[in-house]
Amino acid sequence: MAALLLTAGQLCAQQNDQKETSFTPHLEHRILAGFNFGATAPVGLPNTIRKINSYWPEFSPSLGYELGYRITPKWGAAIGVKLDYKGMGTKDEVMYFPTIINTKDGGTFSGTFTGKNKTTVRNAYVAFPLSATFTPNSKWRFSLGGYAAWLFSSNFYGHVSDGYIRSGGPTGEKVIIDHATFDFGTDVRKFDVGLQGGALRKVGRKLEVMGNLNWGLRPVFPDEFKGLDFPLYNIYLTLGVAYKI
Amino acid sequence: MRLRKLCYLAGLIGSLQACIKDAPMNPEADIEKVTFDKSLMTGDVFIDQANGLIMLYLTPEAYEKGIAPQLTLSSGASVMPASGDSIRFNSTEVHQYVVTSADGHNKKTYKVVGVNIGTWKWDFEKWIQNEDYGYQHPIGDEDSATVWSSGNPGIAFSGVGEDPQAYPLRTTTDAYHGKYAAEMVTREGTVLSGWVGIKLFAGSLFLGVFDIEKAFAHPLEATQFGQPYRGEAVRFTGYYKYQPGPKYQNKAGDIVPGMIDSCSVYAVLYTGTTRLDATNIHTSDRIVATAALPEGSAKANWTRFDLPFVMKRKVNYDEKLMMAIVASSSQYGDKYEGAIGSRLVLDSLEIVH
Repeated sequence: MAALLLTAGQLCAQQNDQKETSFTPHLEHRILAGFNFGATAPVGLPNTIRKINSYWPEFSPSLGYELGYRITPKWGAAIGVKLDYKGMGTKDEVMYFPTIINTKDGGTFSGTFTGKNKTTVRNAYVAFPLSATFTPNSKWRFSLGGYAAWLFSSNFYGHVSDGYIRSGGPTGEKVIIDHATFDFGTDVRKFDVGLQGGALRKVGRKLEVMGNLNWGLRPVFPDEFKGLDFPLYNIYLTLGVAYKI
Repeated sequence: MRLRKLCYLAGLIGSLQACIKDAPMNPEADIEKVTFDKSLMTGDVFIDQANGLIMLYLTPEAYEKGIAPQLTLSSGASVMPASGDSIRFNSTEVHQYVVTSADGHNKKTYKVVGVNIGTWKWDFEKWIQNEDYGYQHPIGDEDSATVWSSGNPGIAFSGVGEDPQAYPLRTTTDAYHGKYAAEMVTREGTVLSGWVGIKLFAGSLFLGVFDIEKAFAHPLEATQFGQPYRGEAVRFTGYYKYQPGPKYQNKAGDIVPGMIDSCSVYAVLYTGTTRLDATNIHTSDRIVATAALPEGSAKANWTRFDLPFVMKRKVNYDEKLMMAIVASSSQYGDKYEGAIGSRLVLDSLEIVH
């Protein structure tokens, strides 16, 4: 039994040796194109969110270039630059939802909201992913790493309806809100950083299909923003294609 | 294969719904409604939620015998003393209710206040300031009764800052008689008020109450005009000054060239105990008499008005009546139209019996 394992191991080693001899470290260039699906969302819903009535992905293209370096036949590294739109929309119902809103003219509202909410998010980033890559065979390549992203355009707006606010909190006076719009676009943080990882699968001579999960680790709103009392993170899956050049 | 993917997707959506946690316990502790025998009321009960006051307008009989109010509370909340317990007014004892929310975390205290107008004459010498928001409103010179209201409580919700001068109704030393007068200045909306489509706040002052709950959704119903009144009314007199602001704007906030703002000052006597509001103060068939300033153009100096009540019919002495006095620095302020900066100053008002 032991002998068998030993032989198998030797065979493997031999195979590796053979490949390694024919392998030279090299660069790989890829154009990446796809769409982002996901959410700018809390990790774990707070109990003030009572119902998610609908969700839809916004038109969120992702376009970029990746430079990979294969050090060994299996291992390598990749760095990229991407134009990343991250967007979604949701309709939900909330109850006693705490909010503090500060406006540019010095206005402030602090209290709770109970009612319906519709939010649309569409933020555009220039992102720089950096990954370690693992290529177990000629079909697949896996990658894992992080990203840093700078915001260059932001939208975070919506409206609340069919509900009421209470100034100061649950015992404050009630004011019915039929319809009110909000826009927190300018409050979105300019910098995002997170983890990302995914897979490429070869489907043609130069073409691969791609799936890549990007998980933001920095809340999209700064700590001083109290419009929502819980942090939101960019959690998006990029589905698309890669083209080797 | 496709079917399996669909199953995964369904599973994913299902698990998202599973993320919804149990509903929070109700943290609210409101007295939403106070009801008792209507024949004991001269005016409908008003609950001032912002200041925790239950304002009662009672007949002499009610003061003698007491009342037994039924309370409607936030769901699950409890109250001490209990709903239905009698309140008697034969001592100086302060009556109050303490409501505890269903979740047990919040308590809200409501004080019971009987409101009576002693004299139908106001020089606007006494003002009080809201502790939380900083806006002012006048109280009775002699009886300190809270009978005047304005749009200020609604504007407080729009985040204008705690300076009394930030609110359209405030006190001024530019008085005709005594030290103070009531000043109304139409001001621009705020970013927050823009979120509900309000671009302008007209200055207003009226006998009545402001129902904050309706301030944004049904603003015309939020201004509830009138206080209990007895007998006939002969004349409505007072002094005013008016200066329209330079640029008239419509509801959308666009300047309307050539339009000049005007003020409005009027008094309406009507039957019943339920207040009229800005939707029906001119049209209700309950109206028995009106006295209105015929035109609201600029008046640089103090100008006296003496307006006879135009009676639609005779009133019976035992009839339950309400009297509204309404003034605004922008006549169409209720439609959020007017000129920013329009200034109306009122002093020495009187309803002559």
